[in-house]
Amino acid sequence: MAAGGAGGNSGRTYSFKVVLLGEGCVGKTSLVLRYCENKFNDKHITTLQASFLTKKLNITGKRVNLAIWDTAGQERFHALGPIYYRDSNGAILVYDITDEDSFQKVKNWVKELRKMLGNEICLCIVGNKIDLDKDRHVSVEEAESYSESVGAKHYHTSAKLNKGIEELFLDLCKRMMETAQAEERLKGNGASQSASSRRGVQIVDDEPQATPAGGCCSSG
Amino acid sequence: MAAVEVGRMLRLAEQCLERAKSFIEKNAGPNEASASVSASSSGSPAQTAKPHQTAISPVAIAENTGDKSTSPKKTGHHKVLTDDGSGGLSPFLPPEVFKRLQTVASQDTIKKELTPIEQASRLNQKLKANYEARLARLTPGQAYQKTSLKLSLQRQMMENLIIAKARQDALQRKMEERRLRLQEEANRRFAASGTMTPEEQEQHMLYTNVLEYEQDHDWPKIWKANIKENPDDVTLVPRLVSYLKLTDSVSSGGGSQSFSSGLLLSPSLFDDLHTKYDYEDREESHTQEMLDQENSFEDLEEFLTQLDSASPHGCTDEAGSDSDIWDPSVLNEGNIQELEMRALKEHLKAIVKDIHIAIDQLLSLCLLSFECLNTASSKDLCLASIEEVFFMPLWTALVALFRKVNREREQAFEISMKLYQDASPADVGVPLKLFPPEPDRMQDSYPYESAVQELKLLFKDYCPQRKLECVVRTLRVICACAEDYRCLHEENSAPKTAAIGADDLLPILSFVALRCQLPQLVSECAALEEFIHEGYLIGEEGYCLTSMQSALAYVESLHTGQHPADMFI
Repeated sequence: MAAGGAGGNSGRTYSFKVVLLGEGCVGKTSLVLRYCENKFNDKHITTLQASFLTKKLNITGKRVNLAIWDTAGQERFHALGPIYYRDSNGAILVYDITDEDSFQKVKNWVKELRKMLGNEICLCIVGNKIDLDKDRHVSVEEAESYSESVGAKHYHTSAKLNKGIEELFLDLCKRMMETAQAEERLKGNGASQSASSRRGVQIVDDEPQATPAGGCCSSG
Repeated sequence: MAAVEVGRMLRLAEQCLERAKSFIEKNAGPNEASASVSASSSGSPAQTAKPHQTAISPVAIAENTGDKSTSPKKTGHHKVLTDDGSGGLSPFLPPEVFKRLQTVASQDTIKKELTPIEQASRLNQKLKANYEARLARLTPGQAYQKTSLKLSLQRQMMENLIIAKARQDALQRKMEERRLRLQEEANRRFAASGTMTPEEQEQHMLYTNVLEYEQDHDWPKIWKANIKENPDDVTLVPRLVSYLKLTDSVSSGGGSQSFSSGLLLSPSLFDDLHTKYDYEDREESHTQEMLDQENSFEDLEEFLTQLDSASPHGCTDEAGSDSDIWDPSVLNEGNIQELEMRALKEHLKAIVKDIHIAIDQLLSLCLLSFECLNTASSKDLCLASIEEVFFMPLWTALVALFRKVNREREQAFEISMKLYQDASPADVGVPLKLFPPEPDRMQDSYPYESAVQELKLLFKDYCPQRKLECVVRTLRVICACAEDYRCLHEENSAPKTAAIGADDLLPILSFVALRCQLPQLVSECAALEEFIHEGYLIGEEGYCLTSMQSALAYVESLHTGQHPADMFI
């Protein structure tokens, strides 16, 4: 059950890892809480609260398990950044539309992610707090043109008003599924070569009844 | 007239004996042959010529001497010659004979599964004992009866052996047929792949042997049925694995024969474990690999101690360095240490790889024998149980190696730990709202003490999976504590922020790691990183371990002052 969790047949479950990046006060915690529980101020959301969240989805008849990893925005915890986003299928980079600095940080992360993970990862750049549009310091045009230039999609959200969040995650999931399927097709073409190199002891792969339910990630 | 009769009987007896002897020599194994020959020798022609000493076996002599008073009275009851063994067990059997019969009977109960030939030989021994008993009761004058008794004994022994031989042959044919059938079954299962790699061939053979073993033994079937009936019983799989391990310990130790589960390990099962390739191989690979690992670790330990004493600095930086500073060899020291470290890292990599391969093999053997375990959840359980057994004796040595490799990181951790031993959570960047303003207002002596206590439990386990669970629990305790502390602050105001995210979690985790005051945490986590299951990597376990690693890296860098606790983020 690799991180990609891809599988052409509809019986399979996709497991995706999504990392959440953004400076301390951009509201990424509120954003992800809003998505997973749809409750803005609820207490005792999960055992790990907003740091690690899981969500089960059903998209066009296919089951998707999302594991959302929050990362620390502080610079001093970035020495081991790469171990956070390795094997990620998607990344959500959040900035505050009233805070120019937070947008600059997003640009840094994009560079690092592309360097570490190449084009495999689906990037979402998210301008949060659109309820504070009157204090906007990052222009819509700038953010959107930048996002396009780095192959990312741009979204506008408001965690407070619960705007744009559902769309953001649904869109990201669909993109990750497409990427996983494309990868699967690519693997399928090269299957004849890889089959022989597969380790002999792993006969479990040959069992038709073995359809893993993807029960590896316990919901937090 | 009587003499003529006796002569005829003698000739007949001789013929019978000849036939019996040639038959026995031709067909029976050495044990049976000698037993039967000795049985018939008591009635050899030389002895029958002297009727007075017919039974010269020691037992018979003993009977004669001890039996003198009773035998004349009893002979009258035994005029009718009964050939079946049970008929001979009269209530007046002499004690010696009775004893002998009993030992034969008790031998039978010890060995459960006898081959037909063995059974026949047992039966014949009984017959012979009966015959001797009866003979002993005859008065010297009853020579005719003696001969007739002897002949009927020989005839019966002969018949028994012939029947046994036929049964044995039939059984062998059946076994052979079964073997072929199982072979075909295994062929079918492995039919998908046209050309077989050596591994597949080995598996194929193993599978055939597993099938064969299961024909003879019920316990795998019982377990399988049990698992099928109770698919939701999560305790079954661990119990099965520990049962397999128990079988292993019994088969290798050979000591106790009873299982805690109440099953009796009969000697035949014990033998089978050694003759049959499949289970033996499984158990053996199990123990063998464990032994191999242990040996390699022992070698390693030895190697390390040699290195330590050979190189001037070894691993202790506290002592001995002063005198060495003026030593010319110091010039090379950096070089030596670098080489040593490189060798260590290579060694560690090889060992980690070996462990992964060994566990993979154990798991696939388990799944090969118990196909019903081949579901995602059962497989996880199976793997967890195997690992628990596997790592128990290894972990201490394994961590010793990781500590050697991560020595510098641990040292950095220790320096930070000492510098910050009295630090408040705010010193490592924990927001003020997430720890109590006055320490005396809480039950713990310092903030997040319960999380620190939880983290310390990590060192009490010897299985990576359990350690990982401990890390997860530590993070959960942190979240619960943080929630409580925040509530203290927001007693009167409406709660503003929602929940603890990574921005808050990592500083707290760093604080907890500092307060834990155990630098080997660095090595433990590095080892966990190597042995965490792929499936857990993106889940809660993976997240918690990654967070822990991140916090540890931050703590290691604390003493360098590179990252002032930027509290205002």
